[in-house]
Amino acid sequence: MTPLYLVDDDQDVLDSLSWMLEGMGLNCKGFNAADTFLKSVDIKQPAVLLLDIKMPGMDGVALLSHLNQVQSVISVIMLTGHGTIAMAVDCIQQGALNFLEKPVDGEKLFQLLTQAQQHTEQKWHQQNLQSDIANRLATLSQRETQVMEGILAGKMNKVIAAELDIAQRTIELHRQKVMQKMQVSNAAELAWLLANHKF
Amino acid sequence: MYQFFTRLMFILALFIGFKLPAIAADSHTSDPVRIGIMAFNEPDEVMANWQPTADWLSQQLHRPVQLTPLTPTQLDEALAKQRIDFLIGNALTTVAFKKNYGTSHLLTLVHNRVHSPEQSIGSAIVTRIDNNLSQWAQLKDEKLVSSDPQAFGGFQIFAATMATKGINAYRDIPQLRFIGFPQQKLLQMLLSGEADVAILPSCVLENALERGLIPANKLKVVLKQPHPDFACEVSTQLYPGYALTKLGHTDHKLATQVVTSLLQIPPESQAAVQGRYQYWSAPVDDSPVFELLKQLEQWPFVTNWQRLLHNALPWGASFIFALLLGYIHHLRVKRLVVKRTQALSAEIAHHQHTQKILLEQQQQFYRAQRVLLTGEMASGIAHELKQPLAGIRYLTQGCLYRLDSTQTELATALNKVINQVDRAQTTIHRLRTFCQQTSDYQPCDLRAVIEETLTLMQPEFQRLKLSPKVNLQTLPVFADASLIQQVLVNLLRNALDAMENSPHKSLIIDTGTTSESVYIHITDSGCGLSDNALERLFFPFETSKPQGLGLGMVICKRIIEEHKGKIEAQHAAPGLTVKVTLPLNQPSV
Repeated sequence: MTPLYLVDDDQDVLDSLSWMLEGMGLNCKGFNAADTFLKSVDIKQPAVLLLDIKMPGMDGVALLSHLNQVQSVISVIMLTGHGTIAMAVDCIQQGALNFLEKPVDGEKLFQLLTQAQQHTEQKWHQQNLQSDIANRLATLSQRETQVMEGILAGKMNKVIAAELDIAQRTIELHRQKVMQKMQVSNAAELAWLLANHKF
Repeated sequence: MYQFFTRLMFILALFIGFKLPAIAADSHTSDPVRIGIMAFNEPDEVMANWQPTADWLSQQLHRPVQLTPLTPTQLDEALAKQRIDFLIGNALTTVAFKKNYGTSHLLTLVHNRVHSPEQSIGSAIVTRIDNNLSQWAQLKDEKLVSSDPQAFGGFQIFAATMATKGINAYRDIPQLRFIGFPQQKLLQMLLSGEADVAILPSCVLENALERGLIPANKLKVVLKQPHPDFACEVSTQLYPGYALTKLGHTDHKLATQVVTSLLQIPPESQAAVQGRYQYWSAPVDDSPVFELLKQLEQWPFVTNWQRLLHNALPWGASFIFALLLGYIHHLRVKRLVVKRTQALSAEIAHHQHTQKILLEQQQQFYRAQRVLLTGEMASGIAHELKQPLAGIRYLTQGCLYRLDSTQTELATALNKVINQVDRAQTTIHRLRTFCQQTSDYQPCDLRAVIEETLTLMQPEFQRLKLSPKVNLQTLPVFADASLIQQVLVNLLRNALDAMENSPHKSLIIDTGTTSESVYIHITDSGCGLSDNALERLFFPFETSKPQGLGLGMVICKRIIEEHKGKIEAQHAAPGLTVKVTLPLNQPSV
């Protein structure tokens, strides 16, 4: 179950929103300030955050901006007392998943939260995959990388051997090593894996 | 006056009667006795006539006697400078000089051919024998000649007689000429036809005939007045003849001696013969002379208005000149007053105009502020209500989720709560929308806005005796100037309020530009803010002022953020610095 966090400076709102979410069967944890939230939550982990904009000290937009900067996978839904279009556009640009005006209806919120959960999980998996691929790539030697680029370019072994000026047998050994290290069984799989990778 | 003269005579008589021996004994001085003799012409002849009389006097007094012939002009001068002690002259002289030189009439001369000294001289109007002149008025149209206007016997008696007939001899006779002396010349002019009428003293014609100077039966005296005792023909009244006059300064003892000796001259003596007189007599009644002077308007004892006027002329002129100067000064002052008044009223009008503009600006500012405040209040209230409403709605919905399917009645009621909450929300939303105003963005220079704001706040600066240190430069922005002014006034007023009780008051307004933005830093030396208050500075209804709403800084923040700018506050030492940053309006954009 993805954790659900609430950040709002108004304790009453925090309590009542928790009450409603718990009524829907969702567990949540409330914070009444942005810095308390940052101190107690691992923002690298997938989570959903319902964030108020207007707060003393670090406000909602600033926290959102911070999360965006550190590439947190947390899905953020902004909840505001009185939003303007400019504010909404700003928040969406900063990576907020949605921008809602208080009070939000339970049913609507539930749907959005479900989406947000999927989003953060997906983002998290993606982030994990990326780092996995990056790790695998990091294990390749320089020669192996050269050979891999040749394979991805769809070149025959002998062509690669001629270009790198080494024996074809050596290329075959390198190729086998690359497949092994990248944990794929053929060239098509390798291409698919790297197509999803963002450098 | 007459009484005075009578008294004078009496006193003289006393001197002559009783004091004579004593006075005679005193005469030992060798200074000459100076006697002036009236002479219109030929001083030598006059001297010759009178020299024997002078010799007689000299012999009697045992001291030299100096004779001086004097023309009328010389006479005035001699009198004024006291060059003579006695004067022998016509009957007019004593009276005429009485007032100014204190002359006294001592003796009257009895001329030859005269029976009574009172009737010694008159004026004869002589014409050719064929002239049929019969009226005084006819003289106006004749060619008149006379010797001298000052001559007593000739012209003055004539003029006085003319005056009694209502004719002014000087003015009304256009063909009157004064020829001068000798008088025989006038007779010759009549004979030659150069003149028609000659005004002469009495007996001149008779003397001329006697001496054979003119032919007989050629000339006659007209307008004759009968005087049976008088030997010559005359046309006027008769007057006393020559008189001896003592001047005011002359010693009375000397005068007595002179009078005594002259009275002793016998008619057959050389003095009387050569002087053409019979003897000297006591002063005779000279009232006709007074009358004559009055007729001639030369009476010295009545106010001579003309002379007075003449004397007063320089004074009058200077008085009028002074008046004129005063009037000119008055006019100038008046003009200055008018000018100054105009300038002053123009200045007042200008001042009033400025004040009116300032007042309008202030009113406009307060109107804008009211609108802003209303908006911000609605916004604040909406926000404050929204939070609890949101809480209610969440709680209600939370309850609904906790109900099972059998509790339908509760579910209905709770749903109704949610509906009510939504309704309240809509109302609040509508209120907020209503109170939001549209802004008017234009390229402008913040420098001008700041200057205008400082002018607006000037009275408050003066109240605190504060003059802000301002560093201004051109600050191009794209903004609604009236909204920015709201921000500035709010910030400045906060700064002033914070400094209300500070011992040292200073306000620094610093401005500048960076590559992308313009900034305004307002630093005061007031009481400053606590950390907590600083953090909550831009929250609505947070205020330290007893009368404050706590919306000022909220409005500032909203306005600045609407302009895509930033506003922040930080501690100064002491006081507070508020930093406002707005995007620079690039000239190319």
